[in-house]
Amino acid sequence: MDRKGISLKIGEFASDVGQIRDLELTVGRITRDTWAETMGPTPFPGVTALRSWDRLLLSRYRPFYLPFCDLCCLCTYGKCDLTGGKRGACGIDMAAQQSRIVLLASCIGAATHISHARELVTYCIGRSGTTHRIDVGGVNVEVEAPITRLVSGVRPETLGDLERVLEYLEGQVTALLSATHTGMEGDALDFESKVLHAGMIDQVGMEVADIAQVSALGYPKADADAPAVPLGMGTVDTRKPVILVIGHNVPPAVGIIDCLHDRGLSRDVEVTGICCSAQDMARYAPGTKVIGPISWQLRYVRSGIADVIVLDEQCVRTDLLEEARRVRSPLIVTSEKNCLGLPDRTDDAVDQIAADLAAGRLPGALILDPEKAGAAAVETVLRVAPERKKQGVLPGLQALTGDADRCRGCVLCRRSCPNDLPIPEAMEQAAAGNLEPLGALYDACVGCGRCEEACPREIPVHSCIIAACSDRLTGETFTMRAGRGAIQDVEIRKVGGPIVLGEIPGVVAFVGCANYPRGGNDVAEMAVEFAWRKYIVMTSGCAAMSIGMYRDGDGKSPYEMFPGAFEAGGIVNVGSCVANAHIAGAAVKIASIFARRNLRANYEEIADYVYNRVGAVGVAWGAMSQKAAAIASGFWRLGIPVIVGPHGSKYRRMLLGRADRPEDWCVYDARTGEKVQVGPVPEHLFCAAETREEAMVLTAKLCMRPNDTTRGRALKLTHYMDLHRRHYGMVPEDLHLFVRTPADIPITMKDEVQRILAEKGWEETTIPDPTLLLRMIRAGKG
Amino acid sequence: MEMFSDIPVEVGLVHEGERIRRKEMQVELGGPDIPDKFELVRVREMDRVEQGKISIEGPDLSEMEQGKAYPLGILVEVAGPALEEDLEGVFERRIHEYCNYIEGVMHLNQRYDIWIRISRKSFQKGLTSLVPIGKVLIRLFQSELSIIDRIQVTFLTDPAKVSGMAAEARQIYDARDARARGLSDEEVDTFYACALCQSFAPSHICIITPQRFPNCGAISWFDGRAAARIDPKGSIYPIAKGECTDAVKGEYGGVNEAAKKGSMGSVHRVWLYTGFGYPHTSCGCFEAIAFYIPEVEGFGIVDRGYKDVTVNGLPFSTLADSTAGGRQVDGFHGISIEYMRSPKFLQADGGYGRVVWMPAELKERVGAFIPEEIRGCIATDGEAKTVPDLKAYLAKVQHPVTARWMAGGSPARPGEIPRSAVFPAGDLPVTAGGVRIIFKNARIHADRVIIQPVIPRKEEKGA
Repeated sequence: MDRKGISLKIGEFASDVGQIRDLELTVGRITRDTWAETMGPTPFPGVTALRSWDRLLLSRYRPFYLPFCDLCCLCTYGKCDLTGGKRGACGIDMAAQQSRIVLLASCIGAATHISHARELVTYCIGRSGTTHRIDVGGVNVEVEAPITRLVSGVRPETLGDLERVLEYLEGQVTALLSATHTGMEGDALDFESKVLHAGMIDQVGMEVADIAQVSALGYPKADADAPAVPLGMGTVDTRKPVILVIGHNVPPAVGIIDCLHDRGLSRDVEVTGICCSAQDMARYAPGTKVIGPISWQLRYVRSGIADVIVLDEQCVRTDLLEEARRVRSPLIVTSEKNCLGLPDRTDDAVDQIAADLAAGRLPGALILDPEKAGAAAVETVLRVAPERKKQGVLPGLQALTGDADRCRGCVLCRRSCPNDLPIPEAMEQAAAGNLEPLGALYDACVGCGRCEEACPREIPVHSCIIAACSDRLTGETFTMRAGRGAIQDVEIRKVGGPIVLGEIPGVVAFVGCANYPRGGNDVAEMAVEFAWRKYIVMTSGCAAMSIGMYRDGDGKSPYEMFPGAFEAGGIVNVGSCVANAHIAGAAVKIASIFARRNLRANYEEIADYVYNRVGAVGVAWGAMSQKAAAIASGFWRLGIPVIVGPHGSKYRRMLLGRADRPEDWCVYDARTGEKVQVGPVPEHLFCAAETREEAMVLTAKLCMRPNDTTRGRALKLTHYMDLHRRHYGMVPEDLHLFVRTPADIPITMKDEVQRILAEKGWEETTIPDPTLLLRMIRAGKG
Repeated sequence: MEMFSDIPVEVGLVHEGERIRRKEMQVELGGPDIPDKFELVRVREMDRVEQGKISIEGPDLSEMEQGKAYPLGILVEVAGPALEEDLEGVFERRIHEYCNYIEGVMHLNQRYDIWIRISRKSFQKGLTSLVPIGKVLIRLFQSELSIIDRIQVTFLTDPAKVSGMAAEARQIYDARDARARGLSDEEVDTFYACALCQSFAPSHICIITPQRFPNCGAISWFDGRAAARIDPKGSIYPIAKGECTDAVKGEYGGVNEAAKKGSMGSVHRVWLYTGFGYPHTSCGCFEAIAFYIPEVEGFGIVDRGYKDVTVNGLPFSTLADSTAGGRQVDGFHGISIEYMRSPKFLQADGGYGRVVWMPAELKERVGAFIPEEIRGCIATDGEAKTVPDLKAYLAKVQHPVTARWMAGGSPARPGEIPRSAVFPAGDLPVTAGGVRIIFKNARIHADRVIIQPVIPRKEEKGA
């Protein structure tokens, strides 16, 4: 148990042992430490503690800038034009400015997760006490908090232990954010190093958040057979009162579920959710309904089905008060970070709040106590639902044609659409009575509503698209496997053999938001493709929902087609955004489990291990938020590459390797100390793909690592070549860079590979025990 | 796909997981409805094999009725100077793998139990004969196993011919199994070292002998032999057994040498058949752990499928953590299930006579290999959940380890480090020399004081 701020003063004391006068003893903190593992070099690392590791990575993967904005407008000297090598009034150049904005985004993301973690830990402690033990997987998980152990050097045993970690994180995010002030950091690579630092502490924050809620709220604990939960709007029984929860922080939803349970109303009220609150709600109570990803907000609210809407934090549309008012659904906001101008009713009685909301005296209320917010939502929905007709603002058939008829084809909607959807053409058809083209836009629509803002005639374009295929929306009935949380140590042990024997080609994580270029189906199909190919597929958050909204020829969802275990061909839903930490955690645990490397405050060595050995790739196909930026940064520092969809290029810079420069791809052979060229593996740390086909080929390629056994490499090459041939119609040009010895050549492609190698003047190389760190060389030691 | 440009369907690893349901199939070959079927690889003299020859004895696919099942025998005959009969079994398992690479061909099981389906879709694409399947087999065998100089494939579909040959094949399988089971470490002069796991555990190698499977349980001595011949520069390589300096513990000069080299000097000695002293190192993917329980002077064994805590209160994951990573830990020993079927299993420690506890399911799996007289003495999770329970059980059934308890004195456990004595409080050095401590106007600041609890002394063993 931790104790803080002890001080002791002794004026005068004498005994046989000694004499003390005016002794003052001040102790910042007394910590119990039962962890025998030796403390590593970087406990609670400061902003520059891992700078040399970052520089190693950044020397291979130089930032490639895609300025989304050429100007800096952060101070009153500006705006400053930074194009053509010009510097701003403070002296900053374009490269540093782009990296600075990336840092800013990553800080926002990290701060959001860390603040969320703080809320959850406080909430869980309030519920279960500081001494409540952390338990993420019972006896099957020895390493309960791999990232926290790795970064901070603390092995948290109780909820109370997490507070200390949070204090560290809060300090770091403040320091990092301050580096973006005018006249602070001026070097692009140093900004990038800080970006990586932000990503690392973000991962710790996510882990803290998730292990707290898994431990205290009785979620599935590292359970491969976590329950199936209903997914999609069609699963909602609209005859019942319906509550909708949107956001990421689960306590208000828990308040609702608990209140319904206590009042014996669990079967009588539908609790539905969008985004990560829904993910976590489903882990708490599998009977709740997950509506869909973040982009379902407008369409679901406008359908009018939700009788009461409860918001918490993150990725919540900021115009929901207005939207809720239009469908006459009372709105309850529950986060101090998202008050929407509503009166604070936290101290008022539940009945009184419910009465005011039900009578329409208030459009909404701020209730900062999650339990009370839950009770108020339940009381309100019971009062509102019988009176309220579930009428939405989606136009009927006639109104829809009328709206379409008002369209004059100015094309402003299409120009403002992030996916360049052919709305004007579809409107023209709709005006003529053919709704099909309009309805066909549904899949690729990200639900941002910008088309409506752009329309000079105030046509409710988004509503029209949804109304044109309303059957689709209400027919969405799918299932998703609830988030299982961590990966068991034993599961990791089991896949060791198949990986080195060339039976599992890699681990692919489909994560992130739903800003997809062509709809969520791309993510589902990619996940299915890689699961068929016996990769281990992991997923979380909105991506996990998109994967669930898919059926094969037999009507099965990917979660029914593939097991939920961390194994060849598994599709593993870890949970909400913060559960992403378990994906990185699994990579980190590999070092502890197979090589028995110490994790404790030993970040650089473990990152070097993961980077050179663990064939994992993250795919954030619809990454939208600053949180997604921070999550990606955390993966980069561990040496795990991330691919984003086309919208991801708006993150302003990529981290690209240069396959054409063999000198960039040397590692030390830890056995001998020799420098060995290992080829561009993995070729990039952060890159965008235009299409899902390109992303799949890249994913297969980026799974290769210098330590691959020959069987492992042959398998990875098989998939890379096969996907390349299928999607580009040819054998990859860079194939020879990935063959080290003849045994790497896939047996079904031997003839053509040998021919290509001969053409390219290929030479055999050795397979090292790879490391980028001089100190890891064993030759000459002991 | 130039290697298979003349094959009417795709050939590649991506088709491996393909399932063909009854309604999608053109024909079924072998399978549950057909009593006689087999697949067999034979090593022949060079002049008896005609390179590339494919024969079909009986009706071909195009002559079979749609939706029906037919008998099938696949005989693959190979020749080459480096080939030997011992490798036949290893090669034979490739038939399953290779057939499954073919689009629209599903191959299940092996040996006398094969079950193949050809999809209607692939049949319509032109896979109307067994000849292309033969071509694929021949090319893949020679592509992967370059030591095969000549290869010919015969498909038998004529019921009488299949029956006749199936009987012969059964005898060959039996003889092969008898040889594999009977082959002892004494009979061979070469062991194999497997460094595949060095990819994740850089200082670990496994020693593969006929009677000691590697920790993962995935590679037999025969597999090792084949792999080493196929890829002489690969991660599985032969080691000369060298002089046997201790036949009981299993110490061999060649093994020590290989361990030293493979571990970059961190391991100098390996005793193959014991969990004490210098046990075989543990990587990360061992299937089970033998862990010493000092209180009863015996080994508990737990496999990684066991989801509860073991009899000493620790689960597999914690026990595994204490021995993984290529380390050699006295009394903790990562092993394969197959090694538990070997007569050399913990031979130096008393074999099953020293095993006191294992999960019921594991005991069931290896039960046939536990000597009859000991089988009932080994406790399972059903009989003992704690060490005191276990002790009582062992005493009740008179497990052989109880004889050690009677012997008294210090238990025979090599490598035991005596615990250092703890100073009684009265003798704290601070007062021993009559020193007085005087603090005056002192200020002591500490940002953080870490207090580690005193680890309580363990109970005396055998007490």
